[in-house]
Amino acid sequence: MMSDSDLEAGELLVILRHGPHGTSWLREGLDAALVAAAFGRRVSLLFMGEGVGALVTGQQAGPLGQKGTAPTLEMLAMYDIETLWVEAEALSSLGLAEDDLMLPARPLAAEAIERAVAAHPLVLTF
Amino acid sequence: MRYAILLMGAPYSHQASHSALRFARAVLARGHRLEAVFFYHDGVHNAARLASPPQDEPHLVDAWAALGAEHDVPLLVCIAAALRRGLLDSREASRHGKAGHSVEAPFELTGLGQLVDLGLRSDRLVTFGP
Amino acid sequence: MKLHIVNRSPASSQVHAQAVTAMGPDDRLLLIEDGVQGALPQLVRYFEDIPGRLYALREDLEARGLVGRCDASVQVVDVDGFVQLTEEAEQTVSWY
Repeated sequence: MMSDSDLEAGELLVILRHGPHGTSWLREGLDAALVAAAFGRRVSLLFMGEGVGALVTGQQAGPLGQKGTAPTLEMLAMYDIETLWVEAEALSSLGLAEDDLMLPARPLAAEAIERAVAAHPLVLTF
Repeated sequence: MRYAILLMGAPYSHQASHSALRFARAVLARGHRLEAVFFYHDGVHNAARLASPPQDEPHLVDAWAALGAEHDVPLLVCIAAALRRGLLDSREASRHGKAGHSVEAPFELTGLGQLVDLGLRSDRLVTFGP
Repeated sequence: MKLHIVNRSPASSQVHAQAVTAMGPDDRLLLIEDGVQGALPQLVRYFEDIPGRLYALREDLEARGLVGRCDASVQVVDVDGFVQLTEEAEQTVSWY
């Protein structure tokens, strides 16, 4: 369990609740996060619910060359987005573990999600 | 207070557009300043100048334009989300070699950076999703 | 204190659970649009973890014929009250 002191809060928390390919929510949510980071804002990302699917290893382009979001996620570090969280319960509900993730996202229990949301002055949900 | 609205639902598909307009009017009626409305995701369809609803339904595109003009509220449309969905102003239409345009003033195409800026400089940013 | 806004019915969506998970001990939750179904006595149990902090938008209840059917624990506000709730909160988070 994490304490308040190790919860690195940024100015903007972007919550991503959709998987890749099915809708544009994930891509457009990530775009908002990347732009905010490019403008020098400290951005945290939280993958919730179905959104944890964004982090699964081995993703590919979809039909008709649909790009998906994995290449964008690989660029997060370049944009200095280093606070990556994933809803622990959503992860286990999909039978996934940290080893299945393409990026080192830290699992958060419900109490920590509550604190992460409280700690950010601006929260955008996608 | 300084308010901003983020609208991500398309008109006539979801209630989001109605809800956002109703909220915008209530915000102004309570004496607050509405800094801007930002249209993102399918919300960009609210800027479709060719929208032609039946006469017995509210004209949401005109309603946004009227609100913007009356209260000096910028109507900001994410350019990346808009272009993908066929929403182009005359400048973008000619840049892309298109014969017609589908977005006009008072809606303005702008970058996503405006949303971030708006979110951080307003006292309240209220999102209406589909 | 944040105001969380939910527009989906707990009868067909998990969005309410995401909102409740993210809520702090003083946060409030406002049901709008299809979310107002959550104010019905049969569905209000999904919000049992946030006693006294559940609101529903009158106009959306009225439009759906539900205004007289809300659970007594739900506080009904009109759109002016919606704005007031956003004034009292430091920020809002929407779940849709």
